[in-house]
Amino acid sequence: MGALSLSQLIDLVVGGLAIGCVYSLIALGFAMIMRATNIIHFAQGEVMMLGSMCGLTSLWLLPALPLPVVIAVGMASSGLIAVAMELAVYRTLRRRRVPIMNIITATVGMSILCINAARIIWGSEPLRFPELFATTAYDFGGVRMSPQLFWIMVMGVAIMGALQLFLKHTPTGLAMQAVAQDHEAAQLMGANLTRIMAYTFAISGMMAGAAGIMLGSMFFAFFEMGFITGLKGFVAATLGGLGSIAGAMLGGILFGLIETFSTVFLSSAYKDGIGMILLIAILLVLPSGLVGLWQKRR
Amino acid sequence: MAKAQVTASSHRGAHRRGSVHPAALLAMAALIALPWIEPDKFALHVLSLIAIASIAAMGLQVLLGYSGQLSIGQAAFYGIGAYTSAFLTAKLGVPFPLALIGAGIAAAIASLLMVPITRLTGAYLAVATLGFSIIVYLFIKNEEWLTGGSYGFIGIPRAELFGYVLRDARSSYYLNVGVGAIVYFVFARIEGSRFGRAINAIRQDADAARASGIRVTLLKSECFVIAAFVAGLSGSLYAHEVRYLAPNDFTFWKSIEILIMVVIGGVGSLAGAILGAAVVVGLPEYLRAIGDYRMLVFGAILIATMLFGEGGLAALAATLGRRLHALARRLILKPTASRKAAP
Repeated sequence: MGALSLSQLIDLVVGGLAIGCVYSLIALGFAMIMRATNIIHFAQGEVMMLGSMCGLTSLWLLPALPLPVVIAVGMASSGLIAVAMELAVYRTLRRRRVPIMNIITATVGMSILCINAARIIWGSEPLRFPELFATTAYDFGGVRMSPQLFWIMVMGVAIMGALQLFLKHTPTGLAMQAVAQDHEAAQLMGANLTRIMAYTFAISGMMAGAAGIMLGSMFFAFFEMGFITGLKGFVAATLGGLGSIAGAMLGGILFGLIETFSTVFLSSAYKDGIGMILLIAILLVLPSGLVGLWQKRR
Repeated sequence: MAKAQVTASSHRGAHRRGSVHPAALLAMAALIALPWIEPDKFALHVLSLIAIASIAAMGLQVLLGYSGQLSIGQAAFYGIGAYTSAFLTAKLGVPFPLALIGAGIAAAIASLLMVPITRLTGAYLAVATLGFSIIVYLFIKNEEWLTGGSYGFIGIPRAELFGYVLRDARSSYYLNVGVGAIVYFVFARIEGSRFGRAINAIRQDADAARASGIRVTLLKSECFVIAAFVAGLSGSLYAHEVRYLAPNDFTFWKSIEILIMVVIGGVGSLAGAILGAAVVVGLPEYLRAIGDYRMLVFGAILIATMLFGEGGLAALAATLGRRLHALARRLILKPTASRKAAP
């Protein structure tokens, strides 16, 4: 409210960018699954939550684990969980050629399953992460920044950069892109569809797992954390233009900034609503999301 | 005016225009007789909740099953209906039948806000409806002066019809099932009608429908308004059935529940929407005995049900019915058939 000092403004921008990175990582998972299979994966938020829980459990067992290892544990467990979902359920459903609405509803069922399994395993209390980051603020030439937010941004950007390199420069990554464009053509070119789908779920699960550790360390880990965050990730992916990797990254960061600023300047009670109003407004102007801005309209 | 040259898809809804399936009449008779066979108050209350949920589900069935538009925000209209009806009766003293209609109209008017977004399709449309429902939820939660906020809306009077207050579970059961039946029979007429064929054409191919002279945007918006209207009715009935409203009854989960009812029951089948409502509302009550594992089992059952393919439970029930029918015929007709063959 009122005028902000420069340092407050920087705090807000950094906070918005950090939470935006979390949304971007979740949105990336949505976008990759959407591109490859056309399904809205409603269990994505729960994959994130389970990654957060597994990372936290690894910290309970070995309290001295350094941050990158915790992130790796979260990514690995979320990746495995997502692959298990794909192999056990979604692939079976696709093989039986059920309509897409059935698969989407099955992802909702999966989400209900994960939430309740997590509540039974980890209880319903919010769980606090141990301090993973240095507590004294970094000083960048007079600009002070919280180490936690700084490292979340750095890791978020690094993970997304690595994903881009993987997709553009490895045979598997290129095959994934090809499958996303056209299943049959890619199959004719020798791509193994089953394997590529499993990779797609593995990578989107890993993105969600990283997001889970970050979000858990910023706030809490608890069994319902995936629900609203997953929705926000979905909204961010749509904002960017569903099925576009760059759009998902941009959409996530934009959504994080919008949310942070609207909390301060407009109303914290309607924090989630303002993002939604903006989303609807943007979709009305650009029916295919932000990528519509630079993609040639046909 | 160009005639729509698209035939209604034949694989679903085999019954002819305007006719009512005999099974529907049988089911009606069973529903009327039920309270006298099973007079348990709680069972009747659950059946009422099923009837109420199935009204909202049938609305979404028209939207998703008939016109092919995915909405994951029906809880918004359900909530608007519930709070409108509660406000009209508790604060303004409006009689219940008027409040019921008023709730439907309020929800329909709110859905007019959504008309611009009907040009979105698929996931984009879904996200926009989701956004709308989150906004409505936040409004219900934060505007305490109007809705009671997180404390909830208390003091909602019982439903009354023509001066007769529905005090016991049985009479409110008849009210809820009665409204449900009216919605069912009205919607059953849509399918074979001109309007029904037109929205069916839109679902199959919007461009081809437009080329055949169907006013796509107008009809799509009409479906939204119809679905919102009945969701409002459903909300109003809910408000007077439980007589206490809290914002948490109108979150995104409610929208997802309504969607699950439609998909479990079978996309495109009205009876399926009712079956789906019975499963989604009734099953967790039935599973209450297993406590914490209740929703876990529900999730697993939901995933397993999705394996049945397009028709959902409705198709499964129909197949089962046909098999039983064939079996019964074989058992009954076998002696006569063999006698005929003998000479």
